[in-house]
Amino acid sequence: MNISRRLLSSAVMEIILAVLCVVLALAAPGFLTADNLLNVLRNVSMQGVIALGMTMVIIAGEIDLSVGSMVAFAGCLTAFLVQWLTGLAAGLPMVPAVGIGILLTLALAFGLGCVTGVMRTRYGVPSFITTLALLTGLSGAAELITNGFPLTPFPAWYNFLGGGYVLGIPFPALVFLAAFGLVHVLMNFTPFGRAVYAVGGNAEAARLSGINVSRVKVLVLACTALLAAASGVMQSSEIMSGTATTAKGWELDVIAAVIIGGTSLMGGVGRVWGTMVGMIFLGVIMNGMTLLNVSEYWQHVVRGGLILGAVLLNRLRQDAATGEFAGA
Amino acid sequence: MAPTSLQTLALRKEYPGTVALRDVSLRFDGGKIHALLGKNGAGKSTLVKLFAGALQPTSGSILVNGTPVVLRSPRDAFRNGIAAVHQEPSLVPELSVAENILLGRLPRRRGAGGVLVDWDAARSRAADLLRSFGLAMDPDVKARSLGIAQQQMVEIVKAMSFGPSVLMLDEPTSALAHDETERLFSLLKDLAARGVVLLYITHRLEEIHRIADTVSVLRNGELIGTVPIAEATPSRIVQMMFGETVQRSRPVDIEPGKRPVMEVRHLSRADAFRDISFTLYEGEILGIAGQLGSGRTELLRSLFGADPPDGGEVLLEGRVVRPESPEQMKRLGVALAPEKRKEEGLVQLLSSRANICLAGLSRIARRGFVTRGAEQEVAARYVRDINIEVADPGAPVSFLSGGNQQKVVLAKWLHTDPRVILLDEPTRGIDVQAKQQIFQIIWDLSRKGISTIVVSSELEELMSVCHRILVLRQGRLHGEVIPHKSTLEELALCIQ
Repeated sequence: MNISRRLLSSAVMEIILAVLCVVLALAAPGFLTADNLLNVLRNVSMQGVIALGMTMVIIAGEIDLSVGSMVAFAGCLTAFLVQWLTGLAAGLPMVPAVGIGILLTLALAFGLGCVTGVMRTRYGVPSFITTLALLTGLSGAAELITNGFPLTPFPAWYNFLGGGYVLGIPFPALVFLAAFGLVHVLMNFTPFGRAVYAVGGNAEAARLSGINVSRVKVLVLACTALLAAASGVMQSSEIMSGTATTAKGWELDVIAAVIIGGTSLMGGVGRVWGTMVGMIFLGVIMNGMTLLNVSEYWQHVVRGGLILGAVLLNRLRQDAATGEFAGA
Repeated sequence: MAPTSLQTLALRKEYPGTVALRDVSLRFDGGKIHALLGKNGAGKSTLVKLFAGALQPTSGSILVNGTPVVLRSPRDAFRNGIAAVHQEPSLVPELSVAENILLGRLPRRRGAGGVLVDWDAARSRAADLLRSFGLAMDPDVKARSLGIAQQQMVEIVKAMSFGPSVLMLDEPTSALAHDETERLFSLLKDLAARGVVLLYITHRLEEIHRIADTVSVLRNGELIGTVPIAEATPSRIVQMMFGETVQRSRPVDIEPGKRPVMEVRHLSRADAFRDISFTLYEGEILGIAGQLGSGRTELLRSLFGADPPDGGEVLLEGRVVRPESPEQMKRLGVALAPEKRKEEGLVQLLSSRANICLAGLSRIARRGFVTRGAEQEVAARYVRDINIEVADPGAPVSFLSGGNQQKVVLAKWLHTDPRVILLDEPTRGIDVQAKQQIFQIIWDLSRKGISTIVVSSELEELMSVCHRILVLRQGRLHGEVIPHKSTLEELALCIQ
């Protein structure tokens, strides 16, 4: 295989994304404006933070369906805690109340992720089931906390976390970039990250290599829950309320981005960078369709086609690389 | 029933680079039980697969009742009256005994405007079949609820329900308890009495005298001979199976030290092994011999913490240790190259380099970070040191040959600086040259004072590599053989 073909096959999603951007720049009015691009970046970042965690979970051979509900739950819980801490009973000033509220929320999310992991590793309950239960459970809990109405205890400066800018760049985008850097280094340059690949590729071989498989699975699930909660805090900041109905269906967007980025649902294979590309790809194409006045219904259809097409592309590429045919 | 016969004429099967079966001419007659013996790789399973239509011969022919037949597929074999029962029962666990026996050909009836399964007919047909083989078994119970012996019986009934004139059994007793084996044997004798050609493949010498009428021995793809059971003394059979072996012996300068490294005291694990005690010395190469199911693999896995023991204790350099997990035993300087190299020894999706680094990741990390350069350095060191033939260490390890994959497993463990290395069937499926290289690695380790425990079903290899061989039998320590004071025959008879 010559160099250019190898480049083409290893960077095929990047190339498709670049072509897409060029097409939209020419065809969609307003695509190539700073405002629009920053808007895309902000939208992508909230889900992107979660997708980074999801990449680790899927590479480890697990899945987390609860992230969308976790976003809503974390926003509502933060709002509830802030309301309670600044209320008559506790009477804290706003700044420590917000700080404590966020920290408690993140800690609880981390704990719930650990529960999913322990259910998986100690009791053999698939993460698919536990997080499916959490998907409805957390959604219900968010409604319970808020009594079905948005909670709005936040001070004006709280809006910075989800809606603010630093040097013209949306704050969530900076969080996304920082999280990308951390997860990228974690997965590629630490013993833990290498162990995640081994565990997802062959859990028994990893165990017999003296790797603590349970710890790896628990930690990736806990990190993802934590990242989802962080995204939930930013989301509540953007809309300035704790709302139980927000972020419905995000788990599908997040998983789609990870898969479009080339991560295998079978575990053991995937790249953090690929998820970044997949996430931006999804954001750009949705934005482009909105700008081109494509109906929302069509957008859903296209998104479905994209997921299938991306996975098919990856399969064909793998088969070409190993010289095997699909299914053989 | 007319007497049936199964015959081969100069049957030959070649693979690129090897000959699995060399011009074998054999004749099996109906009404008798024919034992087929040979070591691993002798050609037994190749022969069975040729009969079962799963493989095609390179040359030569198969004759059923004197007529040449071409068996292109298992269906062809079926049509010619040849059925096989394999080592592991392959019933569908959630289906009933009746459904398993009649799988794919359940009786039907008209009803509800279409064709339905006639369950009453199915049940009574299955019950009739079971009864005709003297089995009192409820056709309605699920296969899952049966013991392995009963499952094996159901497999045989299923195979016989096609009315075959040839039935082949591939090591059917390897998973059976003693009394279960007895029941199987009486069933087989019944079948033989009906004129069926019975082909019985086994590793167990003691069995053939209780069941077989003739014994045929294969070695390196060649038929060494067929003898009537009366002439098949154990020592003659061992002689036929192993031939005049050339001992590729251990260099004389390698002697074990005096200092005990690992002491095992009364170690037990339920349903695997009981009351095992031995001492492993510095630099010693200790072999463990035993039949399949003797507890040899289970013992190694327990010592490594993969399946923790539930009784007894292990001392590592004098300190009492309870093996609880591979993670813990790795820290204490114990390593295991598992029997199932592809499934348990390696992560096939990852590169050779990543696999070599897998057990020692924390050693490679500097201030918590693993760099590509550090990984490359480690991989390159072992590729050079133990001669791993790998074109690109960054390519998936699944591209490598069996021998080189085994070396990757060894490299992974050498990188952890172990004191004791446990090797389970280290040479299985490996070519002769790679075998020699693996032995060389074991000897080099011994010179450095690293101790090795080797489990192998290749007795000649144990005899030529080890300082001492422990024999396991049905989960218990049965004896000890010192290679230079004993013969291969003695060891072969000891494990029976």
